[in-house]
Amino acid sequence: MAKARALDRRRKSVRNIRKITRTMELIATARFKKAMDRSVAARDYTKHLAKILENIASVGADVAHPLLESRPTKRTAVLVLTGNRGLCGGYNSNIVRQAVALLGQWKSEHVPSHVAVSGKRGISALRFRGVDLAERYTSFEDKPEFAAVAPIGKAYLEAYSSGMIDRLDVVYTRFHSIAKQEAITETLLPLAPPQAATGGRQVKLASDEYQFHPSASSILEEILPASFLSRLFKCFLDAAVSEQVARMVAMKAATENAGGLIKSLSRQYNRARQSQITGEIMEILGGVEALKK
Amino acid sequence: MAETKQTGAIRCVIVTPEQTSLDTHARSVGLPLFDGLRGVGRGHSPFIGRLGAGEVRIVGEQGGPADAVRRLFVEGGFVEVAHDSVTVITQRAVPAEKIDASSARADLEKITGTRASGDEAIEAKLRAEDTARALLRTATRGG
Repeated sequence: MAKARALDRRRKSVRNIRKITRTMELIATARFKKAMDRSVAARDYTKHLAKILENIASVGADVAHPLLESRPTKRTAVLVLTGNRGLCGGYNSNIVRQAVALLGQWKSEHVPSHVAVSGKRGISALRFRGVDLAERYTSFEDKPEFAAVAPIGKAYLEAYSSGMIDRLDVVYTRFHSIAKQEAITETLLPLAPPQAATGGRQVKLASDEYQFHPSASSILEEILPASFLSRLFKCFLDAAVSEQVARMVAMKAATENAGGLIKSLSRQYNRARQSQITGEIMEILGGVEALKK
Repeated sequence: MAETKQTGAIRCVIVTPEQTSLDTHARSVGLPLFDGLRGVGRGHSPFIGRLGAGEVRIVGEQGGPADAVRRLFVEGGFVEVAHDSVTVITQRAVPAEKIDASSARADLEKITGTRASGDEAIEAKLRAEDTARALLRTATRGG
């Protein structure tokens, strides 16, 4: 009986785990939807900023700005966006691997790097690998707020314009679609220069209509930091959405796996029980035979 | 825009990094440009302008009384006016009725109380002071 009972106990515990993973999957799905809505709502801002930038670029304004200048990298800053919690498949480890590779590259080029990490998982993983962390953030969950991201961005802008850093790379998981997210390193500073609208003459004519108050270059000066902040914010939003997707997928797989495990445990249990019953019958039969003699 | 065909109405959209916080039609819109207020009505020539800290006044919103004013505090940003549509792009937009006047006053006092030395710090302080003052003004002006 011992074996069958042990199998039954195991089956019960797997069932409990399946309940938990299914609940986590549902929670992750709900959070993913909310995070996705926020991410979609945030696109308007970037779209409008890009439109103004295009207009400025297409009137041929002088687009020289310190934030656009690419300088030789003497000091660099790396911002790593991970999750506060695990149980989300390879989400955190992919980011950490990417970050370690990037830091290794800077180290081999003897460029000191200022490393900031968001998320407990990334903090502990990078500390374990002996990386010096200058900043740690653990307050970003599935709903990063612009008011919380802006001070971080402004600090980077100040450090960049004062020459403390020459480059800012953000390592995060970009969200392409629900089926595809990838860990990437994106260079946010220096900013990519604005492209003139590629619609040809028609767009050019449209932009000629605009007057600029006070002037195109002064607006450019103000709009570039705003554009940087919105791109940084988008990184945080993407990371939040990707984390929820990763957790959703991981928990779905765990639930399915638990189902399979329960099936095979049930089979083993039934077999064990049956063989036990057979054994008992054989014993009784043996006893009856013995009594007959 | 097809929806703006209603006589005398212009479309007003306020976009913040987190969301589109307002999308409505109104008779006119008052904008706090960096150097002063500017009113925009139907048929205004297209322009792109820099905003200062101050209040956006939306007058005669569709579906309400003709002289109703909706006021929002914005902290800098940009405005694009074209084709009878006003798009305000700002990092922060707060409806006037949601501003807490006493905390705005406390903020202003805190900023005026700090000392700043060096050109950059003084400039930052003045800017913060302007913003705080504009916030307080929006909060206390009333409907």
